[in-house]
Amino acid sequence: MLEHLLLGKLTLDAIPFHTPIIMGAGLFMMVAFFAVLLLITIYKKWSYVWNDWVASVDHKKIGIMYLMLSFVMLLRGFSDVVLMRSQQALAAGNAMGYLPPEHYDQIFSAHGVIMIFFVAMPFMFALMNIAIPLQIGARDVAYPYLNSVSFWLTFVGAMLCNVSLVIGKFAETGWLAYPPLSELYYSPGVGVDYYIWSLQIAGVGTLLAGINFIATIVKMRCKGMTFMKMPVFVWAVLCAMILVVLAFPVLTVTLALLALDRTFGMHFFTDYAGGNIMMYINLIWVWGHPEVYILILPAFGVFSEVVATFSQKKLFGYTTMVWAIVIITFLSFIVWLHHFFTMGAGADVNTFFGIATMIIAIPTGVKVFNWLFTMYKGRIILSSPMLWVTAFFTTFAIGGMSGVMMAIPPVDFQVHNSAFLVAHFHNVIIGGVLFGYFAGAIYWFPKAFGFCLDEKWSKRAFVFWVTGFYIAFMPLYVLGLNGFMRRVNHYTDTMYQPYLVLAAAGAALILVGIMLQIVMLYVSLKNRYVLRDYTGDAWNGRTLEWSVSSPAPLYNFAVLPTVSERDQFWMDKQEGCGTPVSSANFHYQPIHMPKNTSAGFLIAFFAGIAGFALVWHMWIPGVVGVLGMVIAMLVRTFNTHTEYFIDAETVRKTELAHLQEMANAR
Amino acid sequence: MIARKLTAFLHAGNLSSTLTWLVRISAAIVACFMLLSLAGCNQHLIGVLNPKGIIAYQERKLFFDSLALMLIVVLPVIIMSLTFVYHYQISHRIADYKPDWSHNYFLEAIWWGIPCVIIVILGILTWKATYELDPYRKIASSNTEPMVIEAIALPWKWLFIYPEQGIATINYLVIPVGQQVVFVMTADNVPMSAFFIPQLGGQIYAMAGMSTRLHLLASEVGVYDGMNTQFNGQGFSDMHFSVQVVEPKKMQPWIDAVKKSSSRLTDATYTELLVPSIGNKPQFFSDASKDLYKSVLLLYQQTYGTTHPRHEQGKFYKD
Repeated sequence: MLEHLLLGKLTLDAIPFHTPIIMGAGLFMMVAFFAVLLLITIYKKWSYVWNDWVASVDHKKIGIMYLMLSFVMLLRGFSDVVLMRSQQALAAGNAMGYLPPEHYDQIFSAHGVIMIFFVAMPFMFALMNIAIPLQIGARDVAYPYLNSVSFWLTFVGAMLCNVSLVIGKFAETGWLAYPPLSELYYSPGVGVDYYIWSLQIAGVGTLLAGINFIATIVKMRCKGMTFMKMPVFVWAVLCAMILVVLAFPVLTVTLALLALDRTFGMHFFTDYAGGNIMMYINLIWVWGHPEVYILILPAFGVFSEVVATFSQKKLFGYTTMVWAIVIITFLSFIVWLHHFFTMGAGADVNTFFGIATMIIAIPTGVKVFNWLFTMYKGRIILSSPMLWVTAFFTTFAIGGMSGVMMAIPPVDFQVHNSAFLVAHFHNVIIGGVLFGYFAGAIYWFPKAFGFCLDEKWSKRAFVFWVTGFYIAFMPLYVLGLNGFMRRVNHYTDTMYQPYLVLAAAGAALILVGIMLQIVMLYVSLKNRYVLRDYTGDAWNGRTLEWSVSSPAPLYNFAVLPTVSERDQFWMDKQEGCGTPVSSANFHYQPIHMPKNTSAGFLIAFFAGIAGFALVWHMWIPGVVGVLGMVIAMLVRTFNTHTEYFIDAETVRKTELAHLQEMANAR
Repeated sequence: MIARKLTAFLHAGNLSSTLTWLVRISAAIVACFMLLSLAGCNQHLIGVLNPKGIIAYQERKLFFDSLALMLIVVLPVIIMSLTFVYHYQISHRIADYKPDWSHNYFLEAIWWGIPCVIIVILGILTWKATYELDPYRKIASSNTEPMVIEAIALPWKWLFIYPEQGIATINYLVIPVGQQVVFVMTADNVPMSAFFIPQLGGQIYAMAGMSTRLHLLASEVGVYDGMNTQFNGQGFSDMHFSVQVVEPKKMQPWIDAVKKSSSRLTDATYTELLVPSIGNKPQFFSDASKDLYKSVLLLYQQTYGTTHPRHEQGKFYKD
């Protein structure tokens, strides 16, 4: 009895000792994990890691941690790609490949979940954290401690998903876990439970971050920055976060109902006893469709910043840009049904959702034309962020085109669930979201780290990524039109094989691209003193984040800025007063800042314990996890010493040091 | 030569050569595609590109019509993006630099207007086509009465019941050419699946306790591939079936032959079919009950309690 309460369903059998691929991957993860711990110990960096990073509530550091999480999970998600692409390239005719369905099914499910939740979302929050407070002239986000909670919850969600690789297994249901397949009768293992609880934990983190950034943007803009003077990236993030706040509760409730079905034998989504599977599919897409706009809107914001900066020209059609974003935000909530035209809702319903979907193409197209005409009669500097934007135009145009075609229900009846669909959404998510985030990461890298990335290696990585992308995904369009379905483990018609081999070759090129990005990071880190950004304005930027040093000081702005124009910093530079208003005689004020706290990490840590316990029905650890969360929250709530002042002298020294550095650089 | 260019590029890290490179690479990819597609044509295209039924034919037409409409905007975008980026590079020292030019009513009206017009056209097309090609609707262009076939998705095979003829098959369909057929479908002991014969027309989901419908009309004699497209567990990849489209006069002899089959679709045989199996060979049953389909539907609609109605018959999940 006690053993059951303590360990639940968990036994040693849960670890797949007989599967070398999994054990190898698990071993690699463990070795990497302990190597990091060992290095921290050897270099006696524990207090630094704990006090300056784990407990940090500084948006700049949280941004960097999001970025690291995202990159590590990209490697994990891409190793799934290598397995899937090689399996499909091999398993033609009578060959069955090397991955049996029960393993392969987990891989494609994990791939989708990881790439969306633990690569794209953290990447987005990384860019937001690094740029937003600086762009609006604020000293931090509205709720710095909540920001730390959000990050650590996302981190713990990702780790729970990784644990499933070694202890137990992951869902074998596809990335949205459609019932009744995800119900207890059809999937009795713990895979779907890992899915539910890792997404629940990460999802709550995302929701909190959404609230935090809305409050930040609405309440903390500097003097003079009216809504219509915000940089477009801020607008895009504001709209994306409104989507988060409206959509993520739907995900939380949907997964909670599925968890009730699976844990307590209820019947919300079962295929018998009054359950309704169509309800789940509707609900999950009521969250799922806004989710893709949550990802793409900030990328649109990045494009707007990068295009204007590197064309050295004002963004074309600011007002239409903003309205286009707002219209997309609204429309993204009334198109979810286009993900299942084939459910048999009938022509009335399908027509409505089909046409609503197409209408989104109009504001999106307008944005593209505005970017194009920002470049027109500009002076384009083809640095690597701009290269990613260039690749985005063509790639996203193709992806958008296939998207509108699939919005026509009769066409969708033919390509739904096929490789054509897979090609389409990778076309927009890689070509739109990921290319945009890469552009943003290179663009804001000097602001976050104080030095630029090595351009040469950055461009090499770009060439392999983009070529690899086209070779990997264009064949999938052809395959889809020839009746090749997604999630297929093996196929009898060998006619498909050349296309799949080509796709695998494309994936290999992308792999080279990722490796070159690692080389880029290494080379840049090695040459960080050469690549150092002394001026704080690495790209001749237009917005406020470039008016402070790189990396920005802890308090961001010694004196909170006042703006009267859209591209205030650019205007100031044109008028010759671009440098900060500080001089040796300036009278600095002490700055009010939030104290670091480890409560965010502890809450998330206990949430992780509770999540793992719920997966395995370990009731005692479950109670411990929930109690731990509550206690950590309460202790922090009753702590009244959460703020402090940076004294004026420190501020003065920091600012003077930066001014000195700028003068030396000249 | 390509290798030399590549190394030259990697050494130079040069900007404009990057673009030249992108263009060349794209050209090479397109060329590869043309070759592969041609190779495909010589063999057999088995998807919507090679339609053999009225519905699939119209769906293909719609596919290319919408593609053409979209290209009106997409092609200029691609061309403009590449030429603008190339032309206005700082190194080209174009004198015409307007750093503050950021607004023009005329231009913005054009790029709100043209996409709007295209979407209106596409919307009207969609509206009409969605009603015309609604899978629930009888095919208006044909004056034949639909022949009914009941399809039940089982783990991981398809059972087809010909209720009027009193026969049933596994993973094997025979339908007459030029005669419209309505497939009425559901699922039993298998998660949501989808019924799809790409060359004849679109797909529709099959769900337990619910009945969905799909009208198809084959216009050419031949053998086509049918499949499940919705991932539904470990046997998903093998859930294919063969579709024989035959001359109407050959239908009756085939039905008679199946009627002579010694295996009958009784409750006992059906229970055996509920047991999960992968890659089933075609099977033929005489004497299929007219009520079987309805009873399967009712079973899911009327089961209460905590256990799945099929938990005793066949364990769906195997470790």
